[in-house]
Amino acid sequence: MQGFINTEHQLLAALASGDRKVASQLYQQNYPIVKGWLAKNGGSESDAADLFQEAMVVLFGKAQDSDFRLTCSISTYLMSISKHLWYKRLEKQSRDPVFLKEDIGTDEDEGGIGYEDDLKVHEEREIHYEMLNAALEQVGEPCSSLLKAFYHKDKSMQEITASFGYTNSDNAKNQKYKCLARLRKLFYGMAS
Amino acid sequence: MSINNNIWEFAEAFVAGALSESDLNELNNRLASDKVFAAEFYESTNLLKSMNANGKQMRFRSLLNEIHDSEIKNTKVKAGRRIELPAHFWRTAAVAAGVALLTSTITFTILNPSSKKTDSQYVTISREVAGLKESQKQLNQNQKKLETDIKKINQPPAAHVRFTGTGFALNNDGYFVTSNHVVEGADSIYIQDRNGDYFKATKLAFDAASDLAVLKIAKKNFHFGKGEVPYTFANGKSGLGTNIFTLGYPKNDLFYSSGVISSSNGFDGNELQYTLELPVGHGQSGSPVLDDKGNVIGILTAIGGDAEANTYAVSSKALISLLKDQLSEHTIHLNKTNKLRNLNREQQIEKMQAFTFSVKVYKK
Repeated sequence: MQGFINTEHQLLAALASGDRKVASQLYQQNYPIVKGWLAKNGGSESDAADLFQEAMVVLFGKAQDSDFRLTCSISTYLMSISKHLWYKRLEKQSRDPVFLKEDIGTDEDEGGIGYEDDLKVHEEREIHYEMLNAALEQVGEPCSSLLKAFYHKDKSMQEITASFGYTNSDNAKNQKYKCLARLRKLFYGMAS
Repeated sequence: MSINNNIWEFAEAFVAGALSESDLNELNNRLASDKVFAAEFYESTNLLKSMNANGKQMRFRSLLNEIHDSEIKNTKVKAGRRIELPAHFWRTAAVAAGVALLTSTITFTILNPSSKKTDSQYVTISREVAGLKESQKQLNQNQKKLETDIKKINQPPAAHVRFTGTGFALNNDGYFVTSNHVVEGADSIYIQDRNGDYFKATKLAFDAASDLAVLKIAKKNFHFGKGEVPYTFANGKSGLGTNIFTLGYPKNDLFYSSGVISSSNGFDGNELQYTLELPVGHGQSGSPVLDDKGNVIGILTAIGGDAEANTYAVSSKALISLLKDQLSEHTIHLNKTNKLRNLNREQQIEKMQAFTFSVKVYKK
């Protein structure tokens, strides 16, 4: 049992760092299950990919906190999140369909895993990121490209110095700080 | 490092956990004594944390996409593990395979012009006009038409009708849809409207997998009725239990029946289809299936020959993607305003009659 927990914990830690091998392993193990379930509940294959990837992002978000411990297996977690996301989506569509919900009561029996809370946190975070990206679009050039290169594409300051044509990396760094200051003003001006 | 020089450098180091102890002390003192600085500093560190986390999540999302495209999509048919069968099981295996083959042949036989088997689980519901009675009726009708309306030029062709199905208008410009199996291999295709007039149609596109065909009335400037079609087309899949109804021509008269969606997938889990609880007859292939609000949610295609007597309809989603994939250059505009929404069923049917018609197919 101890070994099992360690393995899942290690998997999560690797996933949190964006490890391709682990992500791929989890994908191959769990995606077919979600796809199979969704096929029986009125979803298409592209819905399945959407849903599963969203669930993986929720797990990824949770795993960022190194104190995070799953109270169930990763597979159960991904499946439950996918189900919740699907029911949420159906509610949103509000074509008042009478869907025959499969019994998902077992979730609560496993020690109250609070999927709803996880999803709420995830949704709020998504909105926050959306606003951040909107601000990033308004910040103007070269700031927008520079910040995207550094934060989104994970480029080093050396690469940015070269590709943006700065004379040295100190110049690039100062430019980055100026851009961050501008972004902060925009973003917190927007949020308040 | 001095805080005054660059708050960002400090914030960055703080977020990364790379501040030395003396720097941390200096920071804490400053945070405690200078409220304005503290507010600015927290904003800065929060922004940096968000930027870092958002970037990380973005890279994770594209990693997932990349994994899906490279490892999941293309490995649909996974090579299974092969287990050698001991020689003495071969006889048993052969018998089992034989039984399986027999069972599946019986289970799924689609009616086509060359084989008239109907005792299968899945029967397409076009109607093959057979027997003297039917031809007689046809002749009588033609005769009557000739007598009553001698000036009409929209005459039926002289040959015998081999198949009939139902079709319905996509819009009022002469475009309509029916089941592919109705018009497959046809020499000529005509529609007969509710006044008994015949109009020649040409096939524009078809998709055998979804069993849909899109056709156009050959006559220029043809309109099915006055004004645009009254119904709209559902873009997504409707839920289980949705009330539905259909209009079609199993015989020479319009026929109405109603029911519910009983499964969101069709025969053998077919994602393009619905399974319906809806009584229909042969000749109703290609009939529109609508929900209470007058959205076309599907097109009738087949019935199950088994005890459950399921009816199968192709989802309107499949129709829309057929239009998109094959007929985008035709710019077939689908109606966006629903005129059936607030009507009762009788009024809905009355409005739909001009746009639902019998499809007659002639084959040698």
